[in-house]
Amino acid sequence: MTSTLSPSPRPRAVGGLQGWLAHRRIGQRRLNRTLLLAASGVAALVTTPLAYILYRAAAGGAETWARLWQTRLVSLLGNTLALMAAVTFGTLLLGTALAFLVERTDLPLRRAWRWLLALPLAMPAFIGAVVHVALLRPRGGILPRFFADAFGVAIPLPSPFGLWGATFMLTLFMYPYVYLLSAAAFRSLHASLEEAARSFGYSAWRTLWKVTLPVLRPGLTAGALLVALDILAEYGTVALLRYETFSAAIFLQLSGRYDRAAASVLSGVLVVLAIAVLAGEIRLQGQARFEQVSSSWRPAPRLSLGRWRWLAFAFVCFVALNTLFVPLTVLGAWTVQGRLDASFAASVYRSSAQNLWGYAWNSVWSAGLAALAAVILSLPVAYLAVRYPRLTSRALSRLCQVGYALPGVVVALSLILLVNRGLPWLYGTPLVVVLAYVVRHMPQAVRASESALMQISPSLEEAARSLGRRPVMVVLTVTLPLIFPGLLSGAALVFLTSLKELPATLLLRPAGFDTLAVRVWMAAGDGVYAQAAPAALLLIACAAVPLVFLLRRSVLQS
Amino acid sequence: MPALELLSVLKRYSLDAPPAVDHVSLQVEKGEILSIVGPSGCGKTSTLRLIAGFERPDAGAVSISGRVVANHTVWTPPERRGVGMVFQDHALFPHLTVRENVAFGMRGKPRDRAQTDVAHLLRLVGLAALADRYPHELSGGERQRAALARALAPEPVLVLLDEPFSSLDADRRANMREQVRAILRTLHATAVFVTHDQEEALFMGDRIAVLNQGRVEQIDSPEKIFHAPATRFVADFMGHTDFLPGEVTADGILTEIGLLPQRVALPPGTAVELAIRADDVTFERDRASRARLLARHFKGAQNVYRVRLPSGRLLHSLQPHTLILPPGAPVRVWSNAGHPLACFHEGKLVPPIE
Repeated sequence: MTSTLSPSPRPRAVGGLQGWLAHRRIGQRRLNRTLLLAASGVAALVTTPLAYILYRAAAGGAETWARLWQTRLVSLLGNTLALMAAVTFGTLLLGTALAFLVERTDLPLRRAWRWLLALPLAMPAFIGAVVHVALLRPRGGILPRFFADAFGVAIPLPSPFGLWGATFMLTLFMYPYVYLLSAAAFRSLHASLEEAARSFGYSAWRTLWKVTLPVLRPGLTAGALLVALDILAEYGTVALLRYETFSAAIFLQLSGRYDRAAASVLSGVLVVLAIAVLAGEIRLQGQARFEQVSSSWRPAPRLSLGRWRWLAFAFVCFVALNTLFVPLTVLGAWTVQGRLDASFAASVYRSSAQNLWGYAWNSVWSAGLAALAAVILSLPVAYLAVRYPRLTSRALSRLCQVGYALPGVVVALSLILLVNRGLPWLYGTPLVVVLAYVVRHMPQAVRASESALMQISPSLEEAARSLGRRPVMVVLTVTLPLIFPGLLSGAALVFLTSLKELPATLLLRPAGFDTLAVRVWMAAGDGVYAQAAPAALLLIACAAVPLVFLLRRSVLQS
Repeated sequence: MPALELLSVLKRYSLDAPPAVDHVSLQVEKGEILSIVGPSGCGKTSTLRLIAGFERPDAGAVSISGRVVANHTVWTPPERRGVGMVFQDHALFPHLTVRENVAFGMRGKPRDRAQTDVAHLLRLVGLAALADRYPHELSGGERQRAALARALAPEPVLVLLDEPFSSLDADRRANMREQVRAILRTLHATAVFVTHDQEEALFMGDRIAVLNQGRVEQIDSPEKIFHAPATRFVADFMGHTDFLPGEVTADGILTEIGLLPQRVALPPGTAVELAIRADDVTFERDRASRARLLARHFKGAQNVYRVRLPSGRLLHSLQPHTLILPPGAPVRVWSNAGHPLACFHEGKLVPPIE
């Protein structure tokens, strides 16, 4: 009965507020009040930091605005937009191309690539950047030194710094978002769609350009816009590559100069920018219609690459070399180097009270708690949005997506200001870090819970009720067991991204609360690579666990 | 005391649209099977959901076994109505085996009693051997029977079946509905069965309610529904009927195929419509006639001819399989019905005068 659930248009026959209210009462199933209350609470929790930062930016004072406008705003805006555009375009191109090669051509070792190309998701971009900078830095980099020693002359190598360096680096480590989306889309696309085009005389390539890609475009663009939001939030990589964006500038104001007014104004501008991107993403997400994999599904025929087969193979190898092989090898080498030096090893592994395993534990429990909290909090919002679709519930669900538009530095700033005012006892505990993760990564949990619930037909819940179970028992015995795998995916996603979160952790952590990401960042900043490397490898290993779970689910689904 | 009674039940989803269920009243006696039939959007599924308690009526009352479960003050939630339901998509719990699905509603019974009851039901629906399978390992028909067993397990006072055969192949459907009817009969279950298929409704129901735009057009035995439709809609919907316009005269009703000598209590000159079936129409070859044969459908023992009258109106005529005429042949058409034809004025049946 879709007619029961769909929101009905406003009446024209009965005028006035009273008529409208009467209409709403008649037209729709009554919202469950407890659920509505819970969902509103969650929405309030995740939107408060955003609202507060906008308020602080607006209240920042004309003088601060004028000063920033004259000195920083324009160049920051230019830098940020340029990097965002370049990386978004780069990931869209690289991600779609790799997905096409893996899913739709006779690329050698396709099955292995399907996994390997998604694995860079376990590597925080800034760790990749640490390695690449150490290798390529013009003065004192490993490769320039090696070449100078070997050939006696300096060989000019591409610089890892600046806009192009940052674009290269971020594209390399962010393409998997687009890659995974487009790979799933290529897989699920019904062969008959392309066969229809072929039957009208389109060639395989023309079909790809005229049918396949246009059909997939809204979904892929939405994926690329998520990358754009990540770029707005990125701190570690751009700071390391000395490319100043909003996030980096805000971080500097907060940690170095301690100018909260300026930080608030910059944050306000950044958030407005991010909301515009997010609005576009949500719009496109609504248009994205990947066909359901039905029983009549059969794989589309694979394209033969012919002469280009080995060139494509070399290209894919180059990507994997840069994203996996080189970083892991270098990190491994540094770790071994550190282990070989006995006194150094002692200082890294067990000297202080806070040893490596302690950092790992901090990372795991804070990210794990955030994942658990985010999934539990997402449930009322998702249930309301899926089972009672109408303006109110959709608005709440949208509000819970604003975390995407809240860069880590901005969440940190907002929470510093808010918590100091309202909940001073919370500040200085690791819980404030967890709160930041929850606010920022709630959208992933809400989306995962919604899509899990959407797979459960309402008739299953109705059947349980007609068999004598009360609503609470229906949720416990039918709904939750059925959506559990979907919830686990949401939790894995939140866990993964929280584990990699750097700027919010750096700014909010209480003294002595070091996570792996923080440890890697600090040690690399001090140039003690042998100390950064084991923490980095441990972080990647921790992140690989939820990632492999997620990949198994998505790859095995086909 | 009827097992189920609906009293002028009204349900509307939007003020802009007509009510989905418009003052529907009906009764189902204990042990009776009522078919509710109508075109899609006629409100039959809404009616079922109002009985089950998944929707609240905006007006009227629903009573089960003499107890009011829904009216403007009383509301009994679905879990306390004792109504079993078989869903269109079966809605078997995918995380439970067939046995667990069937036992789902049997809480409160002693354990061994419940187990024997489940086993008994599974034998009855022929799924004893598949009790430990999961729903996805079953065929469509097996799922269907599992869903029925699950709905019957708590011994509900009333079973509701919402288009339960619509997901089955046509050849399975006939077989399945015989089985389901036999099972319901064995258990003396009271059932309300919803379908859009006239044939299915005629087969399953002790009585049939024909719904149109949320209103009950007629509730009667299958024979009455088919042979004595109360409204033009029922005659049209139950199928195999053509409509022939006519005009009341003193001697009978004048139509394009001649004067039909039947009298109705309407003043001469009134425009009426006659429901005329293929077995009421015959023809013979006549070069002078402007009526033409359009096509012949071979139905084994008989031929059904489609005939176009000079006005362009189409009639069907049942003929023995031995009569074979080419399409395009000119024919003279008349009615050979030995009985008065159902006559409608403004959609309502006009009773004949004896």
